[in-house]
Amino acid sequence: MLTESDMERYDRQIIIDGLGQEGQERLKKARVVIAGSGGLGSAVSVYLVAAGVGTVRLIDHDRVELSNLNRQVLHWDKDIGRRKVISASEKLRSLNPGVTIEAVDETIKEDNVARLVAGFDMIVDAMDNFPVRLMLNKAALDRNIPFFYGGVHGFEGRAMTIIPGRTACLKCVYHGSIPGDKIPVVGATPAVIGSIQATEVIKYIVGIGELLADTLLVYNGLDMEFTRFKVKRDPDCEHCGKWRDEVKNEC
Amino acid sequence: MSVKVNIHPVLRHMTKGQSVVEVKGSTVGQCLKQLVAQFPETESALFNKDGRLLSYVEIYVNRESSYPEELKKKVADGDEIHIVLMLTGG
Repeated sequence: MLTESDMERYDRQIIIDGLGQEGQERLKKARVVIAGSGGLGSAVSVYLVAAGVGTVRLIDHDRVELSNLNRQVLHWDKDIGRRKVISASEKLRSLNPGVTIEAVDETIKEDNVARLVAGFDMIVDAMDNFPVRLMLNKAALDRNIPFFYGGVHGFEGRAMTIIPGRTACLKCVYHGSIPGDKIPVVGATPAVIGSIQATEVIKYIVGIGELLADTLLVYNGLDMEFTRFKVKRDPDCEHCGKWRDEVKNEC
Repeated sequence: MSVKVNIHPVLRHMTKGQSVVEVKGSTVGQCLKQLVAQFPETESALFNKDGRLLSYVEIYVNRESSYPEELKKKVADGDEIHIVLMLTGG
Protein backbone atom coordinates (compact mmCIF):
# COMPACT_ATOMS: atom_id res chain seq x y z
CA MET A 1 0.00 0.00 0.00
CA LEU A 2 1.38 3.36 -0.98
CA THR A 3 1.65 6.03 1.71
CA GLU A 4 0.94 9.73 1.25
CA SER A 5 4.69 10.29 1.18
CA ASP A 6 5.11 7.60 -1.51
CA MET A 7 2.48 9.30 -3.62
CA GLU A 8 4.42 12.55 -3.48
CA ARG A 9 7.91 11.04 -3.85
CA TYR A 10 7.00 8.96 -6.89
CA ASP A 11 4.47 11.38 -8.39
CA ARG A 12 6.43 11.94 -11.62
CA GLN A 13 6.54 8.25 -12.41
CA ILE A 14 3.08 7.36 -11.13
CA ILE A 15 1.69 9.72 -13.77
CA ILE A 16 3.34 7.68 -16.55
CA ASP A 17 0.76 5.84 -18.64
CA GLY A 18 0.99 2.15 -17.87
CA LEU A 19 2.83 2.62 -14.57
CA GLY A 20 0.37 4.33 -12.22
CA GLN A 21 -0.24 3.46 -8.57
CA GLU A 22 -0.47 -0.22 -9.38
CA GLY A 23 2.97 -0.22 -10.98
CA GLN A 24 4.38 1.73 -8.06
CA GLU A 25 2.97 -0.83 -5.65
CA ARG A 26 4.63 -3.59 -7.67
CA LEU A 27 7.93 -1.74 -7.43
CA LYS A 28 7.48 -1.42 -3.67
CA LYS A 29 6.94 -5.16 -3.30
CA ALA A 30 9.88 -6.13 -5.54
CA ARG A 31 13.05 -7.70 -4.18
CA VAL A 32 16.11 -7.21 -6.38
CA VAL A 33 19.67 -8.52 -6.04
CA ILE A 34 22.34 -6.22 -7.47
CA ALA A 35 25.54 -8.22 -7.80
CA GLY A 36 28.41 -5.74 -7.70
CA SER A 37 28.69 -2.24 -6.26
CA GLY A 38 31.14 -0.81 -8.78
CA GLY A 39 30.48 1.24 -11.92
CA LEU A 40 27.39 -0.59 -13.17
CA GLY A 41 26.20 -1.24 -9.61
CA SER A 42 26.37 2.46 -8.74
CA ALA A 43 24.09 3.46 -11.61
CA VAL A 44 21.66 0.55 -11.31
CA SER A 45 21.24 0.86 -7.57
CA VAL A 46 20.75 4.63 -7.57
CA TYR A 47 17.93 4.44 -10.11
CA LEU A 48 16.22 1.39 -8.61
CA VAL A 49 16.34 2.84 -5.11
CA ALA A 50 15.16 6.24 -6.36
CA ALA A 51 12.31 4.50 -8.21
CA GLY A 52 11.14 2.86 -4.99
CA VAL A 53 12.04 -0.81 -5.48
CA GLY A 54 11.11 -2.20 -2.07
CA THR A 55 14.13 -4.32 -1.20
CA VAL A 56 17.59 -4.18 -2.74
CA ARG A 57 20.36 -6.57 -1.80
CA LEU A 58 23.85 -5.33 -2.69
CA ILE A 59 26.57 -7.98 -2.90
CA ASP A 60 30.26 -7.05 -3.19
CA HIS A 61 33.40 -8.15 -1.35
CA ASP A 62 35.70 -5.29 -2.39
CA ARG A 63 36.92 -2.20 -0.61
CA VAL A 64 36.88 1.22 -2.26
CA GLU A 65 40.14 2.20 -3.98
CA LEU A 66 41.25 5.54 -5.40
CA SER A 67 41.28 4.07 -8.93
CA ASN A 68 37.56 3.22 -8.62
CA LEU A 69 36.43 6.80 -8.28
CA ASN A 70 36.38 7.77 -11.97
CA ARG A 71 33.31 5.60 -12.48
CA GLN A 72 31.94 4.14 -9.24
CA VAL A 73 30.02 7.24 -8.29
CA LEU A 74 28.41 5.88 -5.12
CA HIS A 75 31.89 5.88 -3.57
CA TRP A 76 33.56 9.13 -2.74
CA ASP A 77 37.06 10.21 -1.74
CA LYS A 78 36.24 9.85 1.95
CA ASP A 79 35.23 6.21 1.38
CA ILE A 80 38.63 4.95 0.24
CA GLY A 81 39.41 1.80 2.20
CA ARG A 82 35.79 1.18 3.27
CA ARG A 83 33.73 -1.82 2.24
CA LYS A 84 31.89 -1.00 -0.96
CA VAL A 85 28.57 -2.37 0.22
CA ILE A 86 28.77 -0.22 3.37
CA SER A 87 29.70 2.89 1.41
CA ALA A 88 26.98 2.26 -1.19
CA SER A 89 24.20 1.34 1.24
CA GLU A 90 24.88 4.46 3.30
CA LYS A 91 24.32 6.72 0.27
CA LEU A 92 21.32 4.76 -0.96
CA ARG A 93 19.59 4.89 2.45
CA SER A 94 20.09 8.65 2.49
CA LEU A 95 18.63 8.86 -1.01
CA ASN A 96 15.53 6.88 -0.11
CA PRO A 97 14.95 5.75 3.49
CA GLY A 98 11.78 3.95 2.39
CA VAL A 99 13.77 1.25 0.60
CA THR A 100 15.23 -1.70 2.51
CA ILE A 101 18.90 -1.99 1.57
CA GLU A 102 20.70 -5.19 2.48
CA ALA A 103 24.50 -4.97 2.35
CA VAL A 104 26.15 -8.35 1.81
CA ASP A 105 29.92 -8.27 2.06
CA GLU A 106 30.67 -11.65 0.48
CA THR A 107 32.42 -13.08 -2.52
CA ILE A 108 29.96 -14.73 -4.89
CA LYS A 109 31.03 -18.33 -5.42
CA GLU A 110 29.58 -21.57 -6.72
CA ASP A 111 28.86 -22.77 -3.21
CA ASN A 112 27.03 -19.67 -1.96
CA VAL A 113 25.37 -18.12 -5.00
CA ALA A 114 22.08 -20.01 -4.48
CA ARG A 115 21.89 -18.81 -0.87
CA LEU A 116 22.75 -15.22 -1.80
CA VAL A 117 19.93 -14.90 -4.31
CA ALA A 118 17.33 -17.01 -2.47
CA GLY A 119 14.07 -15.17 -1.81
CA PHE A 120 14.67 -12.52 -4.47
CA ASP A 121 12.65 -11.85 -7.63
CA MET A 122 15.46 -10.97 -10.03
CA ILE A 123 19.22 -10.55 -10.34
CA VAL A 124 21.04 -7.59 -11.87
CA ASP A 125 24.52 -8.27 -13.20
CA ALA A 126 26.88 -5.49 -12.17
CA MET A 127 29.97 -7.67 -12.01
CA ASP A 128 33.39 -7.06 -13.52
CA ASN A 129 34.23 -10.61 -14.55
CA PHE A 130 32.65 -13.42 -16.52
CA PRO A 131 33.03 -16.45 -14.23
CA VAL A 132 30.73 -14.82 -11.65
CA ARG A 133 28.36 -13.53 -14.34
CA LEU A 134 27.90 -17.09 -15.52
CA MET A 135 27.28 -18.30 -11.95
CA LEU A 136 24.56 -15.67 -11.61
CA ASN A 137 23.10 -16.56 -15.02
CA LYS A 138 22.85 -20.19 -13.93
CA ALA A 139 21.43 -19.26 -10.52
CA ALA A 140 18.74 -17.14 -12.17
CA LEU A 141 17.81 -19.98 -14.52
CA ASP A 142 17.72 -22.45 -11.63
CA ARG A 143 15.39 -20.16 -9.68
CA ASN A 144 13.36 -19.24 -12.77
CA ILE A 145 13.89 -15.52 -12.23
CA PRO A 146 15.09 -12.91 -14.76
CA PHE A 147 18.71 -11.87 -15.10
CA PHE A 148 19.74 -8.45 -16.38
CA TYR A 149 23.17 -8.56 -18.03
CA GLY A 150 25.42 -5.53 -18.51
CA GLY A 151 29.06 -5.16 -19.51
CA VAL A 152 31.40 -2.28 -20.32
CA HIS A 153 34.79 -1.64 -21.88
CA GLY A 154 36.16 1.83 -22.61
CA PHE A 155 33.43 3.84 -24.31
CA GLU A 156 31.41 0.75 -25.17
CA GLY A 157 28.80 -1.21 -23.30
CA ARG A 158 26.15 -3.85 -23.79
CA ALA A 159 23.01 -5.06 -22.13
CA MET A 160 20.60 -7.96 -22.49
CA THR A 161 17.63 -9.22 -20.52
CA ILE A 162 17.29 -12.94 -19.86
CA ILE A 163 13.92 -14.46 -19.08
CA PRO A 164 14.22 -18.16 -18.18
CA GLY A 165 12.39 -20.44 -20.56
CA ARG A 166 11.70 -17.64 -23.03
CA THR A 167 14.97 -16.11 -24.20
CA ALA A 168 18.60 -16.81 -24.91
CA CYS A 169 20.65 -16.81 -21.73
CA LEU A 170 24.08 -15.29 -21.18
CA LYS A 171 25.76 -18.65 -21.67
CA CYS A 172 24.11 -18.93 -25.10
CA VAL A 173 25.95 -15.81 -26.29
CA TYR A 174 29.13 -16.03 -24.22
CA HIS A 175 32.04 -17.93 -25.71
CA GLY A 176 35.04 -16.10 -24.24
CA SER A 177 36.29 -12.74 -22.96
CA ILE A 178 38.76 -10.18 -24.23
CA PRO A 179 42.08 -11.01 -22.54
CA GLY A 180 43.60 -8.55 -20.08
CA ASP A 181 43.48 -7.87 -16.36
CA LYS A 182 42.81 -4.15 -16.28
CA ILE A 183 39.66 -3.16 -18.17
CA PRO A 184 39.60 0.44 -19.43
CA VAL A 185 36.40 2.34 -18.62
CA VAL A 186 35.27 5.95 -18.78
CA GLY A 187 32.75 6.54 -15.99
CA ALA A 188 29.91 7.64 -18.22
CA THR A 189 29.82 4.22 -19.92
CA PRO A 190 28.63 2.18 -16.90
CA ALA A 191 26.26 5.07 -16.15
CA VAL A 192 24.63 4.54 -19.57
CA ILE A 193 24.51 0.75 -19.33
CA GLY A 194 23.49 0.70 -15.66
CA SER A 195 20.66 3.09 -16.46
CA ILE A 196 19.52 0.79 -19.26
CA GLN A 197 19.60 -2.19 -16.87
CA ALA A 198 17.57 -0.23 -14.30
CA THR A 199 15.07 0.68 -17.02
CA GLU A 200 14.72 -2.98 -17.97
CA VAL A 201 14.18 -3.98 -14.32
CA ILE A 202 11.51 -1.33 -13.82
CA LYS A 203 9.73 -2.32 -17.05
CA TYR A 204 9.81 -5.98 -16.04
CA ILE A 205 8.41 -5.32 -12.56
CA VAL A 206 5.70 -2.98 -13.80
CA GLY A 207 4.93 -5.07 -16.88
CA ILE A 208 5.21 -2.39 -19.56
CA GLY A 209 7.22 -1.94 -22.73
CA GLU A 210 9.43 -4.32 -24.67
CA LEU A 211 12.38 -5.96 -22.96
CA LEU A 212 15.80 -6.64 -24.46
CA ALA A 213 14.71 -10.25 -24.91
CA ASP A 214 16.83 -12.22 -27.41
CA THR A 215 18.36 -8.83 -28.10
CA LEU A 216 21.88 -7.67 -27.35
CA LEU A 217 21.98 -3.89 -27.19
CA VAL A 218 25.44 -2.51 -27.92
CA TYR A 219 26.26 1.09 -27.04
CA ASN A 220 29.19 2.69 -28.83
CA GLY A 221 29.99 5.94 -27.09
CA LEU A 222 32.74 6.90 -29.53
CA ASP A 223 30.41 6.90 -32.54
CA MET A 224 27.39 7.60 -30.29
CA GLU A 225 25.43 4.69 -31.70
CA PHE A 226 23.13 2.08 -30.23
CA THR A 227 22.83 -1.15 -32.21
CA ARG A 228 20.39 -3.98 -31.51
CA PHE A 229 21.61 -7.46 -32.38
CA LYS A 230 19.31 -10.45 -32.49
CA VAL A 231 20.61 -13.42 -30.56
CA LYS A 232 19.17 -16.88 -30.25
CA ARG A 233 19.14 -19.71 -27.80
CA ASP A 234 21.95 -22.20 -28.27
CA PRO A 235 20.32 -25.62 -28.52
CA ASP A 236 23.41 -27.08 -26.84
CA CYS A 237 23.57 -24.46 -24.09
CA GLU A 238 24.79 -25.97 -20.82
CA HIS A 239 22.73 -23.54 -18.78
CA CYS A 240 19.34 -23.26 -20.42
CA GLY A 241 19.09 -26.38 -22.55
CA LYS A 242 16.72 -27.95 -20.06
CA TRP A 243 14.17 -25.22 -20.82
CA ARG A 244 14.10 -26.31 -24.45
CA ASP A 245 13.00 -29.79 -23.33
CA GLU A 246 10.29 -28.36 -21.11
CA VAL A 247 8.97 -26.20 -23.94
CA LYS A 248 8.88 -29.28 -26.18
CA ASN A 249 6.94 -31.18 -23.54
CA GLU A 250 4.41 -28.36 -23.26
CA CYS A 251 3.90 -28.48 -27.01
CA MET B 1 29.27 -9.02 -54.35
CA SER B 2 29.98 -6.17 -51.94
CA VAL B 3 29.64 -6.67 -48.20
CA LYS B 4 30.28 -4.09 -45.50
CA VAL B 5 32.29 -5.24 -42.50
CA ASN B 6 31.75 -3.07 -39.42
CA ILE B 7 34.91 -3.02 -37.35
CA HIS B 8 34.74 -3.06 -33.56
CA PRO B 9 36.23 0.13 -32.02
CA VAL B 10 38.93 -1.90 -30.23
CA LEU B 11 40.19 -3.18 -33.60
CA ARG B 12 40.07 0.05 -35.58
CA HIS B 13 43.72 0.89 -35.04
CA MET B 14 44.33 -2.16 -37.26
CA THR B 15 42.17 -0.81 -40.08
CA LYS B 16 43.73 2.67 -40.19
CA GLY B 17 40.80 3.98 -38.21
CA GLN B 18 38.18 2.76 -40.67
CA SER B 19 34.95 1.74 -38.99
CA VAL B 20 33.59 0.06 -42.13
CA VAL B 21 35.57 -1.92 -44.69
CA GLU B 22 34.03 -3.04 -47.99
CA VAL B 23 34.91 -6.57 -49.09
CA LYS B 24 33.68 -9.20 -51.54
CA GLY B 25 32.69 -12.76 -50.73
CA SER B 26 29.79 -15.15 -50.50
CA THR B 27 30.47 -16.37 -46.95
CA VAL B 28 31.51 -14.65 -43.74
CA GLY B 29 34.79 -16.59 -43.90
CA GLN B 30 35.60 -15.29 -47.39
CA CYS B 31 34.75 -11.74 -46.36
CA LEU B 32 36.96 -11.89 -43.29
CA LYS B 33 39.80 -13.30 -45.40
CA GLN B 34 39.46 -10.26 -47.64
CA LEU B 35 39.54 -8.03 -44.58
CA VAL B 36 42.75 -9.70 -43.44
CA ALA B 37 44.21 -9.32 -46.95
CA GLN B 38 43.58 -5.57 -46.75
CA PHE B 39 44.61 -5.22 -43.12
CA PRO B 40 46.93 -8.08 -42.11
CA GLU B 41 47.04 -7.03 -38.44
CA THR B 42 43.41 -8.06 -38.03
CA GLU B 43 44.26 -11.75 -38.55
CA SER B 44 45.65 -12.34 -35.05
CA ALA B 45 42.81 -10.28 -33.56
CA LEU B 46 40.16 -12.47 -35.16
CA PHE B 47 41.61 -15.94 -35.62
CA ASN B 48 43.61 -18.46 -33.63
CA LYS B 49 46.54 -20.41 -35.10
CA ASP B 50 44.13 -23.05 -36.44
CA GLY B 51 42.22 -20.44 -38.42
CA ARG B 52 39.17 -20.56 -36.15
CA LEU B 53 37.54 -17.45 -34.77
CA LEU B 54 38.75 -16.43 -31.34
CA SER B 55 36.23 -17.30 -28.65
CA TYR B 56 35.43 -13.70 -27.74
CA VAL B 57 34.81 -12.55 -31.32
CA GLU B 58 31.11 -12.42 -32.19
CA ILE B 59 29.91 -12.17 -35.77
CA TYR B 60 26.53 -10.74 -36.70
CA VAL B 61 25.16 -10.70 -40.25
CA ASN B 62 22.54 -8.05 -40.80
CA ARG B 63 22.43 -7.69 -37.00
CA GLU B 64 21.62 -11.33 -36.36
CA SER B 65 23.94 -13.73 -34.59
CA SER B 66 25.67 -16.14 -36.93
CA TYR B 67 26.90 -18.47 -34.15
CA PRO B 68 27.94 -21.32 -34.20
CA GLU B 69 29.17 -21.84 -37.79
CA GLU B 70 29.99 -18.18 -38.33
CA LEU B 71 32.57 -18.58 -41.09
CA LYS B 72 30.26 -20.74 -43.22
CA LYS B 73 27.37 -18.29 -43.01
CA LYS B 74 26.26 -17.16 -46.48
CA VAL B 75 26.20 -13.45 -47.28
CA ALA B 76 24.73 -11.58 -50.23
CA ASP B 77 25.40 -8.31 -52.00
CA GLY B 78 24.59 -5.42 -49.67
CA ASP B 79 24.77 -7.48 -46.48
CA GLU B 80 26.45 -6.10 -43.39
CA ILE B 81 28.77 -7.98 -41.09
CA HIS B 82 29.45 -6.67 -37.57
CA ILE B 83 32.51 -7.81 -35.68
CA VAL B 84 31.69 -7.43 -31.97
CA LEU B 85 33.74 -8.35 -28.91
CA MET B 86 32.39 -9.71 -25.61
CA LEU B 87 32.81 -7.11 -22.85
CA THR B 88 33.52 -7.99 -19.24
CA GLY B 89 33.98 -4.74 -17.35
CA GLY B 90 31.55 -3.50 -14.78
